[in-house]
Amino acid sequence: MRFYSKLVYFGTLVLFFGCSHKLQTNSVDFVDYQISKSAPVDSTMVRFLNPYGSKMQATMGKVIGISKQGLSKKQPESAIGNFMSDAMKASAEKVFNKQVDAAFVNYGGVRSYFPKGDITIGLVYELMPFDNLVVLQQLSGTLLQQLLDKTAVDGGWPVSGISMEIKDKKAVKVMIAGKPLDPLTTYTIANSDYVANGGSDCPFLKPIPQENKGYTLRDALIDQIQRMTAAGKTIDAELENRVTLSKD
Amino acid sequence: MNRRKFIQQGMVAGSALVAGSLLPEQLLATDNPYQLTILHTNDVHSRLDPFPMDGGRNQGMGGVAARAVLIQKIRQEQSQVLLLDAGDIFQGTPYFNIYKGEPEIKAMTMMGYDACTMGNHDFDGGIENFATQLQHAKFPVLMANYDFSGTALEMKTKPYQIFQKGKVKVGVFGIGIELEGLVPENLYGKTIYQDPIVAANKTATMLKKKGCDLVICLSHLGDKYDDGKVSDEILAKESYDIDLIIGGHTHRFFEKPRKYSNKRQKEVLVNQVGWAGIQLGRMDYKFSSFDNSKTADSKSIFIGNISAK
Repeated sequence: MRFYSKLVYFGTLVLFFGCSHKLQTNSVDFVDYQISKSAPVDSTMVRFLNPYGSKMQATMGKVIGISKQGLSKKQPESAIGNFMSDAMKASAEKVFNKQVDAAFVNYGGVRSYFPKGDITIGLVYELMPFDNLVVLQQLSGTLLQQLLDKTAVDGGWPVSGISMEIKDKKAVKVMIAGKPLDPLTTYTIANSDYVANGGSDCPFLKPIPQENKGYTLRDALIDQIQRMTAAGKTIDAELENRVTLSKD
Repeated sequence: MNRRKFIQQGMVAGSALVAGSLLPEQLLATDNPYQLTILHTNDVHSRLDPFPMDGGRNQGMGGVAARAVLIQKIRQEQSQVLLLDAGDIFQGTPYFNIYKGEPEIKAMTMMGYDACTMGNHDFDGGIENFATQLQHAKFPVLMANYDFSGTALEMKTKPYQIFQKGKVKVGVFGIGIELEGLVPENLYGKTIYQDPIVAANKTATMLKKKGCDLVICLSHLGDKYDDGKVSDEILAKESYDIDLIIGGHTHRFFEKPRKYSNKRQKEVLVNQVGWAGIQLGRMDYKFSSFDNSKTADSKSIFIGNISAK
């Protein structure tokens, strides 16, 4: 090893003293090319993608509902967030066969939006690409407040069954099941297993036991869309002041 | 270089190719062995097709078929090109749910990517899946701060790669984000996350000692955070021998590369191009033996339809 490091040393000497063209950066020019819809396409790449795309379209192109208004994503509250959290709560109540007090979707887990018009299976996959499972946890009012405060720090998560205001990065004026949050009451809360396992910086949820039926959040969304469509409804959701910024 | 000048150059090179002969001036302009063109993407998230024409903000944008044309065109104009990606190749369209990343990696190989690093979502199919999909990669995956011992990725990634581009020796390495709390544990398995600043400084200094003229860090740390979490900004300021950080994770569209002063009071550039392959970033580095100054062109150039010409 001694011999080796001497060799390295010698090499460095050559580089600095013997080699005249050690380079320096002179200038940097940059450009961000926008890949626009009018850009020409590479036919080899198109041919390569075609078989993948057509097989994918066969399963993902199926229309399961229609949205009249489209559902977009924003904070502290959004139409797509209300739809997702409502779907999670309703589907969880059916699958677990019990009353669920509230359901949460972490804001980072809302990966897309629904455009106006046909809602396909593929759009649901883009909205919820992860194979996250819906799990139930029994949370004390105190722990639920901790989770709500975390959502307040993030600027508001989609939530069903709760209304609240965000003030100084805390959840205030929290109403659940029509009543103010009670620190001593135990609530049944639906979350994705990602969050319940401590993801999205929620380590305080990790020790709490989970009820798990292997039911994905994506299936919860698809089931809700199919129920709404069967009932003659469009896939739309309203803003209901579930999460607002405090004006106090 | 302003937009008009760029378009003119592109058109001259294009018509010369059609005519089958390049003017000597053009050859000189593009064959400079002291110039390096870096092309980069980050957070492409399985966006193989352009965004659908559904009235959304990004409709019609992106797609590998259009990016491939743009890359080919730049390669025709520039002799020394490095094509890099800063991670989160996977997850976001049903392509990933169905094919687990195979077409994404194959498309990158077809476009001639030189290297990439891993993002948190590249673990989404499990660490074994990423290892499996690497059979389709003809480029190295660079990771200097994940210890993959005892995982499916052991010996399948490299901390760094050195490229000789004309007269320029370029060292490229990769830095990944903290996985705990971000990626489900069952997906990353026994991967050990190591301090990114320590690992980056160690690797960059070693690359400079090996004679690299330019040291590039492919980072998936994210550009910056309010709460002081380690980021490209912190890494840049705490670094000694990194020249350029190509970042990702935060999906930020930079107006222009950011400049920071490092521990040696030398400039470090950081760049990021949003997500989904909506943009391809390009940085042309020009080198000399004598000039010690290092300046980034501060003009913000946003070229809308150059690729359509």
